[in-house]
Amino acid sequence: MLEITRLEYAYPGTSGSTLRFDLAVSNGEVLSLIGPSGSGKSTLLNLVAGFLAPASGHILLDGVDIVSLPAASRPVSIVFQQHNLFPHLDLYTNVALGIDPSLRLTRSQAGTVAGALERLGLDDLQRRKPGELSGGQRQRAALARVLVRRRKILLLDEAFAALGPAQRAEMIGLVKNLVQENDMTALLVSHQPRDALIASRRCAFVSGGRITVLQPTRELLEQSQIPDVRDYLGSI
Amino acid sequence: MNPRALSAGLVLVLLAILVVAPLAGLVNLRGLPGYQPDDLQFWHSAYIRRVLFFSLWQALLSTLCSVLPAILVARAFALQPPFVLRGFLLRLFALPLVVPAVVAVMGIVSVFGSDGWIPLGRSLYGLNGILLAHVFFNLPLAVRLLLPLWQIIPQGHWQLAEQLGMNAWQRWRFLEWPALREGLPGVVLLVFMLCLTSFAVVLTLGGGPRSTTLEVAIYQSLRFDFEPVRAVVLALLQLALCVLVATLTFRMQRLPEVEISIDPVTGDDRRWHKSTNLVLILLATLFVTMPMLSMLLDALTGPVLEVLTSVALWRSVANTLFIGLTAASLAVAAGWFLLGYSASLVLSGQPGRARVVDLAGSVIYVVPPLVIGTGMFVLLSAHVDVFNWIYPIVITVNALMGLPFVIRTLGPAMRQNHARYHLLCESLALEGWDRFHHVEWPLLRRPLGLAMALATALAMGDLGVIALFGTPTTATLTLLIYQQLGAYLIPAATVTAVLLLLLCLAVFWLLERAIGGRVDA
Repeated sequence: MLEITRLEYAYPGTSGSTLRFDLAVSNGEVLSLIGPSGSGKSTLLNLVAGFLAPASGHILLDGVDIVSLPAASRPVSIVFQQHNLFPHLDLYTNVALGIDPSLRLTRSQAGTVAGALERLGLDDLQRRKPGELSGGQRQRAALARVLVRRRKILLLDEAFAALGPAQRAEMIGLVKNLVQENDMTALLVSHQPRDALIASRRCAFVSGGRITVLQPTRELLEQSQIPDVRDYLGSI
Repeated sequence: MNPRALSAGLVLVLLAILVVAPLAGLVNLRGLPGYQPDDLQFWHSAYIRRVLFFSLWQALLSTLCSVLPAILVARAFALQPPFVLRGFLLRLFALPLVVPAVVAVMGIVSVFGSDGWIPLGRSLYGLNGILLAHVFFNLPLAVRLLLPLWQIIPQGHWQLAEQLGMNAWQRWRFLEWPALREGLPGVVLLVFMLCLTSFAVVLTLGGGPRSTTLEVAIYQSLRFDFEPVRAVVLALLQLALCVLVATLTFRMQRLPEVEISIDPVTGDDRRWHKSTNLVLILLATLFVTMPMLSMLLDALTGPVLEVLTSVALWRSVANTLFIGLTAASLAVAAGWFLLGYSASLVLSGQPGRARVVDLAGSVIYVVPPLVIGTGMFVLLSAHVDVFNWIYPIVITVNALMGLPFVIRTLGPAMRQNHARYHLLCESLALEGWDRFHHVEWPLLRRPLGLAMALATALAMGDLGVIALFGTPTTATLTLLIYQQLGAYLIPAATVTAVLLLLLCLAVFWLLERAIGGRVDA
């Protein structure tokens, strides 16, 4: 279980509002985060990933506080909207970096990489460079690397924003399967309410650096009486 | 501590020491032999007033003669429909960047000297020659700096102008001038600064009582007149001027970091506009290439064998390569550390600090090489024989001179690389050698190769601090050429200059290829 407790952060050079997050996500769950631009969704992911240092608070994974760990040591995988793959390396190497950054793989590890690519339907494309692939294939490769890394937390920061609706639905389905099969915990940031509907039983609405609403997804998206939520959904 | 911050911090401390220590030597006037309190009232000296006036006057004229035509030529390149050789000509305009100043002077003399194609006779030596040489260097530079300003005008604006039936003057007034005026002050100030601190050109083509700038006067005071106090006063004056101009430049420079595109922004189908543009481009190209071609032809008929069999030549070649490569390596290493840290500052939301770090690499624009050299001369001469310290001093100063070019060449690619992949690398624990080997080297080797090649060519072609400290055994090719000119061995100097040019071009090409890889790879 991922528990975020009284996690506070203030942007450098600003005197004013502090972001504050409290959240609990179960193993095997994908929690969606929606909200207007600048509300702090990506900041929350960056705090969990270790790219930003909070002013105070805790990030507990199965009871262990990881807030003081550097990014590389945290049990986190992250998929960005773009630039998930190095353009000069082929798919196999990009995925293999997830196991060992020095690329000195054992036979078993090499098999793991090949297995992950096969699982994501990319085994025929191992030697291709990212520039030779479609957007969907590139994001699949990023998920293949998530698979080989075997980290407990998966963060998706608008990871499928550049894909069409059908591809997005397919990728989200893949993510759900990965998360459930590997008992991971996932946070998914998206501007598309439909993504949240497909991905998550529960959805959090982020506004002004706070999680203001946390409800079952359908209830939040279709029946919410909260003005901020209705304003946001009405503008999409 | 963040390793990037640590390595950048070490570089910044070294930069501070290298600049502050010589300046400390300069301000200790009272400790210098021959010091009189009246020396501080420099405005009473007719000599210093004359030198100061000429420094500013030649810089102003050179800037006007370089930038005004450059606007026309850049506009011609921007608006001319695509033509064969367009890309080649634009790359040719980068040639003066790697041509040593003393070589360009030989080329100018070859074309405009009394035996040249356009003889100006004795009037070449003095302001006329200085202007010609400065325009040779700065017109192509200004063209390359101004051309991107047309490229940032949105294509939609050109289409709108066409739809509204705007004539050429209206397009200039509503589209081109607003874009140009954003970047023009920065270009003007940069060219002014380069002309103000020009040394080799003024030393070889000027230098008489009526054509001496602050830089040359400093050199003469130290090497010939043995007046260290006057040298220091002149150096401090030069420093004050450079600080003023540099401050204005950094405030006003808004040049876009845009790669010069081969494609023009919009074609102009009117025949007379096309012809005018082509004539402008042709004239500019002739001006840039003629000196080199003329010099090449003169060298072929010169004492080639005699020069090639001279021991002094090969000793100078070895010194040139040693100083050039060492200085460039230091400049590239320093630039790499500074840029890595400034890129991380940008990513962490501190662009102001990032700019300060980048600007620190351009400290040589504020404190010119000869001022640093003078300071070192004064500081060290009281304790050691400075002529035994020539290599460390010349290499260090040349590294400082190459650093701004490294930052400008490597900076955009490093910042983009960092912005795109830093978080990914961090999340994958890709750091240190693994990160350099798998990510940074493959993606940055091309700009790195160009930066190294450029810094090496600049260091190899410098005639500044080496003139102050050089001896016959430690002379570089530039100093050898200057010595040959001083002894009126013009044909030998021409041959040596061509050899230096070929060496610079060969080293440039080899380094760019060896480090940057093949263009089609």
